[in-house]
Amino acid sequence: MQNNGWDNFEIGAMLRSFDGAVSDIATTLQEDRPYSKSNSFTASVADWRIEKPIFNKDYCIDCQFCWIYCPDISIISRDKKMVGVDYDHCKGCGICVEVCPTNPKSLLMFAEQEDEDKALAGWPEKEKKEN
Amino acid sequence: MSEMKKIKNLKEFSTSADRFEGANLLCPGCAHSIIVREVLNATNDDLILSASTGCLEVCTAVYPYTSWDASWIHIGFENGSTAVAGAEAMYKALKRKGRLKQPDREPKFVSFAGDGASYDIGFQWISGCFERGHNIMHVVLDNEVYANTGGQRSSSTPIGGSTTTSPAGRVSYGEKQHKKDMLAIMAAHGAPYVAQVAPNKWKDMVKKIQHGFSVEGPVFINAMSACTTEWKFLPEDTIAVSDLATDSLVFPLYEIIDGRKLNITYRPKNVIPVKDYLGAQGRFKHLFKPENKHVLDEWQARVDRDWEYLQRREEAGV
Amino acid sequence: MADKQELREVEVWDGNMAASQAMRQVQIDVVAAYPITPSTPIVENYGNFLANGYVDGEFIMVESEHAAMSGCIGASAAGGRVATATSSQGFALMVETLYQASGMRLPIILNVVNRALAAPLNVNGDHSDMYLGRDSGWIQFDAYNPQNAYDLNFIAFRVAEDHEIRLPAMVHQDGFLTSHTAQGVKTLDDDTAYSFVGDFKPMNDMLDLDHPVTHGVQTEEDWHFEHKARQHHDLMTKVFPRIEAAFDAFEKLTGRRYNIVETYNTEGADAVVVCMGTSVETAVEVSNELRGEGKKVGVIGIRVLRPWPHAQIAEALKGIKAIGALDRSSPNGTFGMLYNELAGTVVNGGENKVLTNYVYGLGGRDLTKVHLREIYAELLANAEAGKPTTPLQQLIGVRGPQISFH
Repeated sequence: MQNNGWDNFEIGAMLRSFDGAVSDIATTLQEDRPYSKSNSFTASVADWRIEKPIFNKDYCIDCQFCWIYCPDISIISRDKKMVGVDYDHCKGCGICVEVCPTNPKSLLMFAEQEDEDKALAGWPEKEKKEN
Repeated sequence: MSEMKKIKNLKEFSTSADRFEGANLLCPGCAHSIIVREVLNATNDDLILSASTGCLEVCTAVYPYTSWDASWIHIGFENGSTAVAGAEAMYKALKRKGRLKQPDREPKFVSFAGDGASYDIGFQWISGCFERGHNIMHVVLDNEVYANTGGQRSSSTPIGGSTTTSPAGRVSYGEKQHKKDMLAIMAAHGAPYVAQVAPNKWKDMVKKIQHGFSVEGPVFINAMSACTTEWKFLPEDTIAVSDLATDSLVFPLYEIIDGRKLNITYRPKNVIPVKDYLGAQGRFKHLFKPENKHVLDEWQARVDRDWEYLQRREEAGV
Repeated sequence: MADKQELREVEVWDGNMAASQAMRQVQIDVVAAYPITPSTPIVENYGNFLANGYVDGEFIMVESEHAAMSGCIGASAAGGRVATATSSQGFALMVETLYQASGMRLPIILNVVNRALAAPLNVNGDHSDMYLGRDSGWIQFDAYNPQNAYDLNFIAFRVAEDHEIRLPAMVHQDGFLTSHTAQGVKTLDDDTAYSFVGDFKPMNDMLDLDHPVTHGVQTEEDWHFEHKARQHHDLMTKVFPRIEAAFDAFEKLTGRRYNIVETYNTEGADAVVVCMGTSVETAVEVSNELRGEGKKVGVIGIRVLRPWPHAQIAEALKGIKAIGALDRSSPNGTFGMLYNELAGTVVNGGENKVLTNYVYGLGGRDLTKVHLREIYAELLANAEAGKPTTPLQQLIGVRGPQISFH
């Protein structure tokens, strides 16, 4: 796409969201959508991150706070259950960790290069409230 | 009119299929995104959207990518509202003439614009749309500054805010003018519904958006958008700062029906001091210098006074 | 369903009514408009048609001309037939949106009733608003009389909405001189007029809910040039053939022949004036008289200002020795637009031509037959001498000492 010349795109710099027709977008999940190559869904901002959130389903209560407060639609939730993080679209802002209400949190930030299994194995203990 | 999407709780809400995509160019932690998601997910109806020039537009439609899964138009800085009003007029015309491609579907028309585009340069355009009674919803992404161009003051910038064109310095404490009361102005247009919302109070926002979609005529929504870059706080604290804003009553959540009946929709269990909200942001840091104490005091007094006024309006029911 | 009107074969209409009637007949879906002298009657007439059931589209009376074009852009991107009208200050106010409309390739029709730009404030006819929009990327037609104003609207809709073109188009006419002067206009009946333009065929329409589209993106240094190059390319190569085809079809239908460049008495001429608007007809009358006196003079009228008809003008100017570029706009420190664009066309043509500039008629000041006789006399002297015998630029018809430059 980057090397397309002036004669090789739609006029008016118009962009299409999908390839072909989608008759009920609001009830079609991302994985079922025929995204066009112009849709930013097909791009990645993984290289923005220096930290990433890692999800620990052992503590998650599926409250969906992370889902709603993620600016980047990077918390994947299906059938009211937290599934994981979309690392193509996560910018590492850390909001999901801040809003997670469990103790210990079900999402924590780690260095970008951190190994997921290692992180899960070393998950912090439940924080005791100070008297 | 199609049935309103049922959203009993957050778990139910989480089954929404977002029509706004990631890998856009918004800052990590940007509240605009959270607001847009809540607005778009509040309905399953088709959407025709517009955005005025600003962070949202500039970060979600840079060739060759678009982050929008609904038809969307950007024309310029002033005229996002008029763009969607023109589209709404075309919808009415084609409906009357029997030329709609999907005649059984009634799209919702929503324009997104920053406070700069809405309160300042685009004010006339919004006023015109509201006076003419178009069936549109205008959502202001209010980060109290011209964020996209590096943080210049707008008429939404509150007193004491340090911006690049009203910077705090040796002889100035930053912005000297009061924040424009856009909700009162838009209510005075007789709009069926105007409301202030904040993304941290998702249930309040979604309820108001759904109500907005259910009424005939123009709807004005002022959405508080805590800006990590310009308000100067860490990206992870966007919701926390939004909580401070709503709980200190700096951003009271209320609605005005038919330009007259005011309802407060959120009463914090514990009202926190305004200075806790101000202290969480770098743009107000200078107000904590001893010589600026009077500005802090004025802030608390004004927020108290405004809250009192809102309560009186609500009681009076006019 | 809109009611039809029974028109007489010849109606007595001023330019504003002629344009309004054309707008009625093509059955526009959305008109977003704002009144400004002297185009106000177009908006008023349209409102009148609506109130009496002759149009069934939407008519948005917006709060400014910028909002008018903004609303038109939103409506056009939504997917339907869109048009509006304005003049002068209103045109200037919407200039930003003109560039946006053409960049987004939306087929909007704009009737511009040409009026002077302030300051000082003036409501009368000159071409300063037309000249302001030169580079906006719109196709631009020029009407010399109410008949043209009527006919060119049909041409404009047909060409602009063509999927190979998809560019907005302006139809210019002189403020007051054409807009408020009634003449006999040969009409088309409603059905014939509508079928010449045809049904609106949507393209990239936002209201096609199954195919969401994004209009009005941002392009930076990595993409902007390609998009502007594409727009320029389409203006330079695709528009004239479509206009020619439309002119041919229109001639077949009505017998009225339009040309991208109109030529009168140019056969074997030594000198011609090049001009636009009502001046063309005045010049034609004078050149007829002078031809009767044995003087070989002619007139070139620009019918399509944009794209600039370089090849057609070069062809029309073959063998012409002296050219007078008549500009009806204050050039404010340089030569008039027509002078500059004609110079651009002839400079590499190989033939030696003398080109001089006359600035006239500002703010509605009349261009008279006496003026034109003087102009032609000077041009013939230039032709004879093979070089300018007058200053390169003269302002004519203005009180005070002679004002000329270079």
